[in-house]
Amino acid sequence: MSRLLENDSLTLLSEGGVPVPRFEVCADAEAAARALERLGGRAVIKALVPVGKRGKAGAVKFAAQAAEARAHAAAILGMEVRRFPVRKLIVMEALDIEREIFCSISFDAPRKCPLILFSAEGGVDIEELSEHHPDKLLEWPVNILEGLKIEDALELARFAGLSGDLAEQVARAVRAVYAVFCAHDCEMIEVNPLAELADGRVVAAAGVVQLDAQALFRHPELEAKLGVEGGNGWRPFTELEMRMREIDAIDPHVGAIRFSEMDGDIGFMVTGGGYGLSSLEALLDSGGKPATTFDITPGRYEEKMRRAVKAVLSKPGIKGLLLAGNVSNFTRVDIKVAGVVRALKEAELDFEKFPVIIRYAGPGVEEARRLIAEVPGVEWYEDEASIEDLARRIVARVYGKDDS
Amino acid sequence: MSILLDSDTRVLVQGATGGEARRLLPTMTDYGTRVVAGVSPGKGGESVGGVPVYGTVGDALKEHEVDLSVLFVPARFVREAALEAIEAGVPTVHILAEGVPHHDACALLTRAAEQGTFVIGPNSQGMVSPGKAKLGGTGGEVPDLMFRPGPVGVVSRSGGMGAEICLFLTRAGIGQSTYVALGGDLLIGSAFVEMLALFEQDPETRIVVMFGEPGTDREEEAARFIASGGFTKPVVAMIPGEFWETSPTPASVSHTGALIERGRGAPSVKKRLLKEAGVLVAERFSQIVPLVKQALKQA
Repeated sequence: MSRLLENDSLTLLSEGGVPVPRFEVCADAEAAARALERLGGRAVIKALVPVGKRGKAGAVKFAAQAAEARAHAAAILGMEVRRFPVRKLIVMEALDIEREIFCSISFDAPRKCPLILFSAEGGVDIEELSEHHPDKLLEWPVNILEGLKIEDALELARFAGLSGDLAEQVARAVRAVYAVFCAHDCEMIEVNPLAELADGRVVAAAGVVQLDAQALFRHPELEAKLGVEGGNGWRPFTELEMRMREIDAIDPHVGAIRFSEMDGDIGFMVTGGGYGLSSLEALLDSGGKPATTFDITPGRYEEKMRRAVKAVLSKPGIKGLLLAGNVSNFTRVDIKVAGVVRALKEAELDFEKFPVIIRYAGPGVEEARRLIAEVPGVEWYEDEASIEDLARRIVARVYGKDDS
Repeated sequence: MSILLDSDTRVLVQGATGGEARRLLPTMTDYGTRVVAGVSPGKGGESVGGVPVYGTVGDALKEHEVDLSVLFVPARFVREAALEAIEAGVPTVHILAEGVPHHDACALLTRAAEQGTFVIGPNSQGMVSPGKAKLGGTGGEVPDLMFRPGPVGVVSRSGGMGAEICLFLTRAGIGQSTYVALGGDLLIGSAFVEMLALFEQDPETRIVVMFGEPGTDREEEAARFIASGGFTKPVVAMIPGEFWETSPTPASVSHTGALIERGRGAPSVKKRLLKEAGVLVAERFSQIVPLVKQALKQA
């Protein structure tokens, strides 16, 4: 996941000219209390976690004195917000908010352009907005070659029902958010709320920036901020996922690995975006319970495959392994199989009892077949085997069901 | 006949002196692809596999007429190379690279739309008109194992699944008119609707197989296009991933376009709309070949 934490998101927005509140990042309750004093004696204390809906989880609290800040901070630091344990807090100056505006920018596949979603009725999340108030959610496509001109941003603000000085301040802020979106190759920025304050100022009171993983080569300084806190997007990385990341890191130029650990008992290592998805569906359909998902981009990845297979085999409770890929055009399948075979030999398992089903097709298949023959008990298939044949076969072998 | 690519299509290869092109270009020309020139900045005057190389697209166009440019350019240089071809007036630009930054893809697709340039990709594995010509890596060195000439047009967002479908059709003795890998990225040029419109005009194509994915609204667009009479031949479609809609655990998938957002792009909706438009929807891979046989009887 390439989502920045809120402090990094707000810093990026601030550097791009978007007004943001003053804030500090704290790791303990005492620091939160001191931060509150520095921020003027009133502050909002929020969990610094890589997921939204923190307020609903009770991980956003207001404090008007140091003792209160200490108590809230201690409580939030002990929480888990949507599977993420809270290790840090963001303590933000308290704002007197008059109005909450929703603003996000992301790419729209149908229109092939950046799309601003804007609502003068912000403060709730986008799912809620689009479900309950679609009429109040403005979709504003931007021509990426022309950019967002100030008059366009003004028109957008007025269209959403804002006027006068407020419209102008909001337009300037939206334009600055758009500039950040472009300057840092963002995939998505959400500012919710963009807040109108009692004193008339407009600030981004909360912000999330998601970077484009395919453009990180242009932004090494941002890549360094991503870290592992974001986990795989919906929960922190497991131990096995961390191990797979280390395996992936042995050679950053060869065979990028994507890996998720799941609750099941079949090591599922079927590669290819569409092929992997179709195979996973077929496995679930046959009653199989996947323990992993795994993808690796083509290349000379024998060593990575060896380590990856060993890592999956080490998962407690694993009962079988399915390794497959769609018919290969150019990438020699024997390179992959060589790594697999080494891992299987080193595992010293009885493959009559621990089922391993393998299917590869394409260049190098004769050599791959020869290599597989060195591991007794492993079932080998080539281009005749369909996705469902393989799913049914592994389910029959692992759960001892009749393979009809 | 076929779409986009046949034995007369005059092909320009950008990134012609790079490793990918050196490896794949001979397999393309051996198969019959009419590669008229290559382009590599600073490498004008060289040649690759008997094909003359120019320093710029403009220089190549002074000497050759070109119908289509295929980009063997690494992802980070795609924007510049594609814009060069678009500005020079190349009618069709085919982008193979995986991992093109979204802002780059967006910019080049916007310019292409303004110029009326037809774009396939980014992240297209290739294109094949069996027995005539092929572009990119699809089919490898022995394309006849995977492809044979015939009446089925094949369009896929996934290169791997497109190849797999063609393999199983070929094994069943059913040939293809043209196979196009659209690319799995969020932002791509042409999609199902554009391909269906071309297949509609192609007398050789009797039916079309489309392989979709979760995310975007390309299958929904296709369903509307078919329902409105834009495509009148039988269609077989498969869109995996319905289990994702109820699963709390999103599987990691390499395609940036395969994301369900704000309820959009759900496979169940895509399949329902396609069925309503009269499309034969395969719930599972092994149903594709039987449905193709059924569709060919209707065609």
